[in-house]
Amino acid sequence: MNTKSPNRPMKGMLVIFSALFVLLASYLFYSTVTYGEEWFSSPYNPRISAARKVADAGSIYDRNGIPLAWSVGSERRYAENPEMRRAVCHVVGDVYGKSMGAEAFYARYLYGYDQGLIDRFVTAFEGDEKGGDVYLTIDARLCEYIYERMEYNGAVVLMNYETGEVLALVSNPTFDPEAIPDENEEGGSQYLNRATQGRYPPGSTMKIATAACAIQNGLTNAVYNCPGEIVIAGQRITCPRDGGHGEEDLTGAFEDSCNVYFAQLAVALGADRMKQTADAFQFNHEWHFADFAMLESSYSPGNNDGDLAWSGIGQYKDLITPTHDMLIAAAVARQGIMPEPQTLLDVRYGGRSAYTYTPQTVATVTDPVTAASLQTMMRATVVEGTATSADIGAAAVSGKTGTAEYTDNGEIRNHSWFVGFSQDAGHPLAIGVILEGAGFGSRYATPLAASVLDHAIELGY
Amino acid sequence: MIIRRYGVAILLAFMILFLLSAFLLLSFREGAFDSAIMLSGTVFAAFVLVQYNVLAAVFRHLDRFVLLITDFLQIFSIIMLYRLDPATGQKQFIWILVGTVLMVIALVVIRRAGNFGRWNTLFMVLAVGMLGITLVLAQRTHGARNWLTIGPFTFQPSEFAKILFLIVTAYYLSTRQRKRDLWPYFLFTILCVLLLVAARDLGAALLFAGTFLIVFYVGTGSLWITLGAIGAFAGGAVASYYIFGHVRTRVQVWQDPWANYNDSGYQIVQGLLAIASGGLLGTGLGNGMPQSIPVAESDYMFAALCEEFGIIVGVAVIGFYLLFIVRGVLIAMDARTKFSKLLVFGATCLLALQSFIIIGGVIKLIPLTGITMPFVSYGGSSMLSSMMVLGIIEGVAVKNGEYDEAEITEMGGELQ
Repeated sequence: MNTKSPNRPMKGMLVIFSALFVLLASYLFYSTVTYGEEWFSSPYNPRISAARKVADAGSIYDRNGIPLAWSVGSERRYAENPEMRRAVCHVVGDVYGKSMGAEAFYARYLYGYDQGLIDRFVTAFEGDEKGGDVYLTIDARLCEYIYERMEYNGAVVLMNYETGEVLALVSNPTFDPEAIPDENEEGGSQYLNRATQGRYPPGSTMKIATAACAIQNGLTNAVYNCPGEIVIAGQRITCPRDGGHGEEDLTGAFEDSCNVYFAQLAVALGADRMKQTADAFQFNHEWHFADFAMLESSYSPGNNDGDLAWSGIGQYKDLITPTHDMLIAAAVARQGIMPEPQTLLDVRYGGRSAYTYTPQTVATVTDPVTAASLQTMMRATVVEGTATSADIGAAAVSGKTGTAEYTDNGEIRNHSWFVGFSQDAGHPLAIGVILEGAGFGSRYATPLAASVLDHAIELGY
Repeated sequence: MIIRRYGVAILLAFMILFLLSAFLLLSFREGAFDSAIMLSGTVFAAFVLVQYNVLAAVFRHLDRFVLLITDFLQIFSIIMLYRLDPATGQKQFIWILVGTVLMVIALVVIRRAGNFGRWNTLFMVLAVGMLGITLVLAQRTHGARNWLTIGPFTFQPSEFAKILFLIVTAYYLSTRQRKRDLWPYFLFTILCVLLLVAARDLGAALLFAGTFLIVFYVGTGSLWITLGAIGAFAGGAVASYYIFGHVRTRVQVWQDPWANYNDSGYQIVQGLLAIASGGLLGTGLGNGMPQSIPVAESDYMFAALCEEFGIIVGVAVIGFYLLFIVRGVLIAMDARTKFSKLLVFGATCLLALQSFIIIGGVIKLIPLTGITMPFVSYGGSSMLSSMMVLGIIEGVAVKNGEYDEAEITEMGGELQ
């Protein structure tokens, strides 16, 4: 028999076991306190869509107090006007887990889960478990105005670029949150928020980044001849204008949106510099906004000059969300600082505000000198270039059109783009418009953007 | 003594009240009163009362704490299972009944038997045989090949091999003076762990290896060999990370379950969402959605409990396990023979590791390995083996009490 008593090491092990179990309990407590709210309000949480809890949920209003969602007993009701209901459906969302809107992202407020542990303890005892009322930054009537004018699938997003408040966000096709489930209609794509989740080739709107790259790298005086088409590393790039644009400098090529010029410019800049600028403009960047979910945009210069040329004019593998493209215009307007888009304006518990809207920025994407040059070029594009239909009287609008090619069942079609901003301290508005398969940017997206900006300024934004 | 019994009565009364009110809530869940569910709850309450009183009367030296904690954990188990699915709850009730019988048998055997002497060789062959047959015959479930089907029953042989492993461990470490005489035991342990790893039953492998390391250290007192063995097992664990894809997946999922939400991370995320949704006080019984967690009734009982009863009860359950462990170690320290000491210590260690590994996995403190939560998770094999472990601990506790009584009588005193 081994004579050493095992009691001493047993005591030691007991201390270790106790420490492990205390760690277990502490970690459980710590993780729930730290991440509990974030986990609970995750769009993956099936409990949010459980209709049973709806009775306790708060209401959702637009910035002017128009009710957009509220509970009647165990039923969730949405904006009374059916056109408005559809116009704001992607921002508001639904309680069935079909779309990712305020109903999911702000569930922690709507169901009162943002309260601290102590507050929840108190409310649990008081038996008053009604959640908070959420006020969104959007103007529902403005959204409806936009929705009525969207003749194509696509997205429109309008933001105050000084504060980052999203004033309107409309994605078409829409759905009726009161008529869910209607899954088969449109193959479910009506639930997709195209403004934040749709990834499109940016087309000529990419030339903002390409031009920024040229300015930053001192390539402002490059002059290329545009005979209407050019072949780079075996790939043929054309300009839609018969006979081409002729001799072009940077400003002229930007105004005319000359593909042949920018393709050569991208090749002259080289893959590394192009990639660097694209990354600075937040391509290939995962967005982590507190109250806003957006897919990543992508840019790759490819492996040869042909790919590089296409990537410089927003084709090849370039993909961007309409909201990100709008943010690029906003960053130009703000001397290179990209604001963070936010849709949550206020949260109120029984009329008492429990949230303070604070403007945030994403990053400084370019220097003020480059931003100023881009402002001039984008203003010129509206005054005498491809975007003349955006030249409204109410404010000095600057912008860039885009016509992005894509293939639909073997047939080449064009997305119509416009991104721009109003250079006006009283009306700091940035806008992004995409109309799927509509055709030229100058012909479809630009007039819509003009009428939206005009109307927004009329409303005092 | 009288005061202690008074305390036990209050505790029991509280437990029964908790059980009955929970079943009252459950009976009204479908709108109309479901008398079958209320009846089940009442019968279980009666069972707990009878079981405790009969056992305490028959075995005067029974450790009441350990038994009461087990009862409490089983009450949580029955409530949660009836809430998730009454049919599963009913089956669990039967397993608890059978488990109680096995517990009493284990208690009596341990109280009477010595260290099983030569039987240990047979135990080793039996344990390795069971694990080996499982590996060859078993069907895959949840990535592990650890179930055997015999007729209408499916059972998990590793659960029963555990008991044999505990006895063999205590026997060798208490009877062999020289470390080189321990080679059959080392071989046995390594074989068990390898068979479990091959069956992809990582949780059980971790449990065997961990129990071996701790009991070996306690039994021999040689820190250096223990550290060496820890190094060897750690090396094995690292190697398995590189060799087996499923081990790598588990670690990746642990690091970021959200990134793997659509496949391997789904269960962990759903568990965390459930715990977060319950918050401090829980949603209340029947108000949560624990059914959205995959295998909520077995591995994920802890998340289901936290959702509906709150993390307060989660912390309390962790406390119950710790109390159980403290009592187990005290019984081990009080035991008269080294075999009994190591047997009870090993049994306690096993339960400690098992509850730590599964709770830690569910709350994402450590990578998740699918093992059951002792006395709480649904499952016949798990419940029966946990109850046998309890029987071993109680057997030694009774033996300790009888020695105390004999010593006091010898001195002319009387034990109340």
